[in-house]
Amino acid sequence: MSIDPQRRLTILRMAILLLFLVLVGRLWQLQVLRGEEFLRLSEENRIRSYPVTAPRGLIYDRQGKPLLSNRPSFTVSVLPMEVQSSQEFALLGRLLGMDPSEIAGKVQAAIRYRPFEPVRIARDVSLEVVTKIEERRLELPGILIQAEPVRHYLYGKLAAHVLGYLGEISEEELKVRKGQGYSMGDLIGKTGIERMYDRLLRGTNGRLQVEVDAMGRPLRVLGSTPPTPGNSLVLSLDVNLQRAAEEALGDRKGAIVAMDPKSGEILALVSHPAFDPNLFAVGISAQEWKRIMTDPGLPLLNRAVDMTYEPGSVFKIVTALAAVDAGVATERTTINCPGFLRLGKWVFKDWKAHGRVNFIEGVAQSCNVMFWILGRQVGPERLAEYARRLGMGRPTGIDLPSEAKGLIPDPAWKEQEKGELWYPGETLNMAIGQGYVQVSPLQVARAISAIANGGFLPRPHLLRSVLAPDGSVLERVPHGPFESVPVRPRSLQVLREGMIAVVTRGTGRSAAVSGLSIAGKTGSAENPLGEPHAWFGGFAPAEDPQLVVVVLVEFGRRGGVAAAPIARQIFAAYFSEVGRRPGASYAGGSPPGIAGEAPKNAREKNWVGSEILLQGRRER
Amino acid sequence: MSMVMAVMRKLLKNLDWVLLLATVILVIVGILLVYSATHMKGDDPWAFVKARLFHLTLGVLAMAFIILIDYHALARQWVLLYVGNLLALLIVLVIGRETQGAQRWISLGFLGTIQPSEFAKVSLIVTLATHLSARRGPYRRLRELVPFLLHAGVPMILIIQQPDLGTALVYLAILFGMLYAAGAEPRPILGVAGVGLALSPVLWHFLKDYQRARLLAFLDPLKDPLGAGYAIIQSKIAIGSGQIFGKGYLHGTQTMLQFVPEHHTDFIFTVVGEELGFVGAVVVLFVFLVWLWRGLAISMEARDTLGMLIAVGVTSMMAFHVFVNVGMTIGLMPITGIPLPFLSHGGSALVTALTATGLLLNVWMRRKKIWF
Repeated sequence: MSIDPQRRLTILRMAILLLFLVLVGRLWQLQVLRGEEFLRLSEENRIRSYPVTAPRGLIYDRQGKPLLSNRPSFTVSVLPMEVQSSQEFALLGRLLGMDPSEIAGKVQAAIRYRPFEPVRIARDVSLEVVTKIEERRLELPGILIQAEPVRHYLYGKLAAHVLGYLGEISEEELKVRKGQGYSMGDLIGKTGIERMYDRLLRGTNGRLQVEVDAMGRPLRVLGSTPPTPGNSLVLSLDVNLQRAAEEALGDRKGAIVAMDPKSGEILALVSHPAFDPNLFAVGISAQEWKRIMTDPGLPLLNRAVDMTYEPGSVFKIVTALAAVDAGVATERTTINCPGFLRLGKWVFKDWKAHGRVNFIEGVAQSCNVMFWILGRQVGPERLAEYARRLGMGRPTGIDLPSEAKGLIPDPAWKEQEKGELWYPGETLNMAIGQGYVQVSPLQVARAISAIANGGFLPRPHLLRSVLAPDGSVLERVPHGPFESVPVRPRSLQVLREGMIAVVTRGTGRSAAVSGLSIAGKTGSAENPLGEPHAWFGGFAPAEDPQLVVVVLVEFGRRGGVAAAPIARQIFAAYFSEVGRRPGASYAGGSPPGIAGEAPKNAREKNWVGSEILLQGRRER
Repeated sequence: MSMVMAVMRKLLKNLDWVLLLATVILVIVGILLVYSATHMKGDDPWAFVKARLFHLTLGVLAMAFIILIDYHALARQWVLLYVGNLLALLIVLVIGRETQGAQRWISLGFLGTIQPSEFAKVSLIVTLATHLSARRGPYRRLRELVPFLLHAGVPMILIIQQPDLGTALVYLAILFGMLYAAGAEPRPILGVAGVGLALSPVLWHFLKDYQRARLLAFLDPLKDPLGAGYAIIQSKIAIGSGQIFGKGYLHGTQTMLQFVPEHHTDFIFTVVGEELGFVGAVVVLFVFLVWLWRGLAISMEARDTLGMLIAVGVTSMMAFHVFVNVGMTIGLMPITGIPLPFLSHGGSALVTALTATGLLLNVWMRRKKIWF
């Protein structure tokens, strides 16, 4: 039997025709026979689908104390396609105490993108107002009232710059995060941890499908996809120390960094003046925003991380280290300080005539003449090299957004940026941390950490672990990476001796705490804006460093007078806590157990991270 | 130059104007529908139409290119076509971009993304036609079909891996259509189908959750009216509410209200049904019918078996797309995510549909022995 393609093709044609008839028949059934029924269904399509905001994850300090919570609130939204007339906006505006044109503007802005998603008009509306709206329901069919979780920062301004604040997502942010589950009107972290780890914290919004009546009132829930709460974060911050640090700084403008020099964990991070993140938690009002933005104290600025200053004499730790490590000086080097130094036709004046001083005393007394002489011998290139080795003039890698870079100048930089030659006088300026040098308090803390721990730069960090909504640990953040500082251990030891002398008998005596050996360095940084900035940076116990503290008081004049006593209070607060006597190791400290949850053995084991790292370093 | 002109003249004289007219109508209707479905989205109401015109340009170029190459010359390159096709599908699996749980696209930087499984269909048609005409039928036993099953099966497995079940089913339609036309007896074909059915519980096991949900929702949409059944119900409401004459162009509420998901791509037919009504829907289906009718006419008049099989493959592919897609919107077929040719938004699909049209024109123009 041979095949007959023509016959087969004809059969295929008939098959196609038949299938078309089936389609047409079905269309006849749907559109002609049942058309009216479907038309009615489409006109009163009663099924609405709303997003349900996921609660953001919580943030805990290292002891497991919550720094914030989520409280319920009412949000009033408008369904753009349901609004019948502008009178609705007028009435809603009156009930909410808002300008109707502002409401209309919000709706107009959203209608293009997602005409069927509710547009948030007011967050955290009082129950009283909600009741009033419900009473006028018949006049307000396009209004939706939803319960939403709202952030409540339990300690107000405490650690505000670390936590950051929330705000409505901007169009640019939305564009950048396309496809990551963000939509218009969402709250997003704008600064701090809230921004850095927004994707971990935010969770996934759910959806609620409800059947509504003609007035848009929900009749019954047809189905729902529950929201997935965000993950919680455990920070390295210690609320007690943070509070002690903030109290020690008081009303003065400035910044404090307290960190564990071995692990890089930030224990306290202060910037003053601060803001109250609660103001932003439900979307800040225009007035409030204006007030904060025009505040001359710049409360939103994180002075510890995002701001740089002239380091002044604190920078002498770099000059001293460079001089010893490069073989220009030893601890036995002595110089004569007549109170000034002549360089060509210029005379550089010291703050005091120190007479004959040896190296250690020169550091202790912050003798400018000695550092000028040493700085000249070391030279600007090598000074810059050592500053950079200590992590200055570049980001530290802390897990906060918008960290400042700072600047470590050298002759090549000056020629490139300013088109000018480097003057010998500039080397003298640089040796005492003046001139173009710009560092952040955090960079100073990191450099001192390396000096304290024997020569490795830790990465300052705040996040310890990530917890799933059920409280289980999702991820532990390892310390590091660490960067070793190429200097001889002997040089560091000489420097530490000098820094101990600073606190025992030098310019930093007011940082001393009895029974505790503290090493440090003061600074008074001349600056073009006003009085010198007061600096103190140090660590304790000197023989087994557990805590680095850096204090900066803007326009505080003398580091030894304005900054060192603040550091003393922080050291005292830290080491007076039970179990933290000098000599006792803090590295293995308590696990970040969350209240009500017994720490597991595995967890404790994991938390001696810094000790393990120290061992690893010794082997290197 | 003059030779090219001579070729062009011959081409124009031998074009299938009815097929071309049907294609042009479908392309224009497609642009109008995509505008209706997307002008409420985003900032620029014309954004999708602009993209559409760009894809159309690419598609017309591809079509012209295919017409100019004699299909015999094309068939001689079957190794290149087949291997290149497999490589493209492998690349998708390795570096493809994932959207909505499936990995179907390759990114081409600023040119956007392409979906190799779309072009793979054309490649399958040409290579399978070559294969079948080299190993003539009739095929009376299942065993004789095995080489062809392997031929289509290898790329199919790669596509199922993406996973893209819909496109894999298109492969089956092409395979069965061409096998039948090439002379396979009904019995071995039914045998293949039987084995397939017997294996379906195994296949079910490999389906993703969302695919299972879609199949279950097809069987009983009311069971889960807001989950997978949602699209089916809303799509039926949209089409049904169009009644006889429709709500008017740009006046559909269901589709505009975005009750119907993916209404500019897979569910574009809901816009036809709702805005143009029964009359419009039937007219659009009629144009498709004309297109398919011409496809089979071309296969009947083809100069040789190779041409006949290419035309049958193209027609089977398009017919399957139309039935499954339209059937899905009116609740006759499960949701499989295969586009409606010429109408659904999607660049690779449009380029493929136009390339397929080019293949038909190619076979038609060279039907006379005197050609070259």
